[in-house]
Amino acid sequence: MKKIFNGLFYVFKFLLLIAAFALTLFILIRMNVRLEKNITSILPELIPFAILLVLFIINMIFRQHGVNGNVFYNLTCCLVLSTIVCVSLRAILDTNMVLNEKYGYGVDFNFFDNFIAYIKIMLYGLSIADVLFMFREKDNDKIKDEKKSKKLKKA
Amino acid sequence: MKKVLLEYANVFAYTITGLIFGLAFFLLFINFYHMQELAETVDVSAYNDTNKASVEEKIETIRNNINVYNQSTYNGSLNIYGLNTVQLKLQDCLEIIESEDMMKYFELDEIGINDSYNFTVDFKNKILNDCLVMQVKSLFNTDTVATLPNFDTIKPYVELDLEALLDSTNYVQSNIENSDHYYFSTETNKANFFNLVDDSYSDIMNSYQNSLDLLVEVSNWYRDIVIGG
Repeated sequence: MKKIFNGLFYVFKFLLLIAAFALTLFILIRMNVRLEKNITSILPELIPFAILLVLFIINMIFRQHGVNGNVFYNLTCCLVLSTIVCVSLRAILDTNMVLNEKYGYGVDFNFFDNFIAYIKIMLYGLSIADVLFMFREKDNDKIKDEKKSKKLKKA
Repeated sequence: MKKVLLEYANVFAYTITGLIFGLAFFLLFINFYHMQELAETVDVSAYNDTNKASVEEKIETIRNNINVYNQSTYNGSLNIYGLNTVQLKLQDCLEIIESEDMMKYFELDEIGINDSYNFTVDFKNKILNDCLVMQVKSLFNTDTVATLPNFDTIKPYVELDLEALLDSTNYVQSNIENSDHYYFSTETNKANFFNLVDDSYSDIMNSYQNSLDLLVEVSNWYRDIVIGG
């Protein structure tokens, strides 16, 4: 059961990361077009997504069980990314927010702007946790290797 | 030593994950709550019926008051240019009040946040700006009107009332515009403080009724001077 849930969360975190990144990119580009700012100014907002994606790929390639097999971490990733998707969709689709209609840009930047700081906090936090769980993986592997070598020596 | 440090790193990683889990959980659910709160609709059918009757009565009073003067049959001694100006300005105000843009709000049975906001904006633009400022305020800055009896008595009253009315809607509009931000409200808060949809609508409706009361006062003054002069 735990493995099934973990497998689901593991797959969903990749899908949600792509969705969250795409929606955030769309909103940020619209925001920059409206403000007539250089497109490079949105890069700092996208760095946490890139870091997390790189870490996910490293976890996948090197089969780091400390991260990939951690249900709580995968669940938290899904929750964070779902929140980003939910907020982005609301900024685009929720017509009950009056500023969305008032300014007529099709995106409620005012609402999304409040959320950018939280996105950064959560994504950087997940990246740090990912790296720390990697060390745990290395440590466990080393202990296992040491035990195996000791057994071999005794034999 | 290294093992202890790695254990600490593990604990630290779980702590960070836990904190982020809490934050994300909170943000996700406050979003649902916020979405639900903004989608709230309020039944105003009875409230609108009462207000519509009151508005129609006031409109009728103003119309009757300004119709007591007819330039072609007037035999009094007052300045007819002044009387014409007052009549025309009040007539313009009546047209604005009776326009489709303003009367449509009385036909609504249920209102949402957007209706409250649109009512606020339309009230500000049409009643406060187009009627009270462009017509009534300018009326009391006209030389010919200044020659009419009791002008000095009614002018300060109108100006004072106008100032209060012009400021009355700003906080409602900014309140609704700020509703896009997260805020912490509970059912108890909602019951005791400011309900965004309902209270905004009734606040503007009160200002709307006060604006009509002011126009009724001006039209009463006009009627009195026409009959008296």
